[in-house]
Amino acid sequence: MAKTYDYLFKLLLIGDSGVGKTCLLFRFSEDAFNTTFISTIGIDFKIRTIELNGKKIKLQIWDTAGQERFRTITTAYYRGAMGIMLVYDITSEKSFENIKNWIRNIEEHASSDVERMILGNKCDMNDKRQVSKERGEKLAIDYGIKFLETSAKTSINVEEAFFTLARDIMARLNRKMNDGSNSEGGAPIKITEKRSKKHSIFRCTLI
Amino acid sequence: MEKSNQSFCSEGCSDPSNLVSEDGKNTKAVVCQRCGSKVLCPGMAVFAEKQLFLPSMQKNNNFNQSDGTLDGDTLTAHWLVDDMYTFENVGFTKDVGKIKYLICADCEIGPIGWHNLDDKKCFYIALDRVKHV
Repeated sequence: MAKTYDYLFKLLLIGDSGVGKTCLLFRFSEDAFNTTFISTIGIDFKIRTIELNGKKIKLQIWDTAGQERFRTITTAYYRGAMGIMLVYDITSEKSFENIKNWIRNIEEHASSDVERMILGNKCDMNDKRQVSKERGEKLAIDYGIKFLETSAKTSINVEEAFFTLARDIMARLNRKMNDGSNSEGGAPIKITEKRSKKHSIFRCTLI
Repeated sequence: MEKSNQSFCSEGCSDPSNLVSEDGKNTKAVVCQRCGSKVLCPGMAVFAEKQLFLPSMQKNNNFNQSDGTLDGDTLTAHWLVDDMYTFENVGFTKDVGKIKYLICADCEIGPIGWHNLDDKKCFYIALDRVKHV
């Protein structure tokens, strides 16, 4: 059968266990209906279809559930990934601190031009908040990555997050194509090429 | 396996006559019977008959503790697609032997379908496990 979509993006959800990645697996429905059977086996990935600028985009979204504790996420897992959601839990300081380690892991193992985004999940649980929104924003700015606070429970920003990441991947692909067709060096700023391996606190970001 | 023309069936309707077009495709969109999440657009899948066992979609008692068997149904009427990206929205379970079960991507009810890893071009959605709108 003929292809009925314009783009196919592979996305990964990365972060400590318990931050709610599984719920973020692009689920809009509040009340999941996990049968004993399904929750016993576990979910591998989901396919989602979205539309951006009139283009039909298929997202294949993978969750790392179960592997994160062992720091076993290496090159094989990242292969082919075009976008990565880095997820922490706003009620867990530790999960926030670990985002830096996850970013290091990505830089070691993932393709250098993968689009990244930081999500502070569980923003519906403000009374238990340990990480302020400002700190989340600051971290994201330091790394030159976009940031959103999300709630998988109340669906706040979940859809928005995936659309943003997909939009960024699409923009990157378009830039690449333009770069290929006209080799004037002027075109868009390639942030990734010069992406420092080290964490620089005083990174300038173009907003 | 003839089902009478009930106006409402709790497990969906398996009478395919008004759901299959002349060229064997789905005339209606295939959606989750619980939350309405869209699984397939009209005309994207072909009707296929194959006996497949799908574990029950009921919340509990999937595993029969006494004899270790699994509650479920052997279903014959399916929508078949040859490329997983034909689906609008769907979830895949982890492997059970060589089988991956398909579930609703939104509310995660399932299994609604079946895929054998040895047969990379066959993805089945059981008519009885979905709604047609």
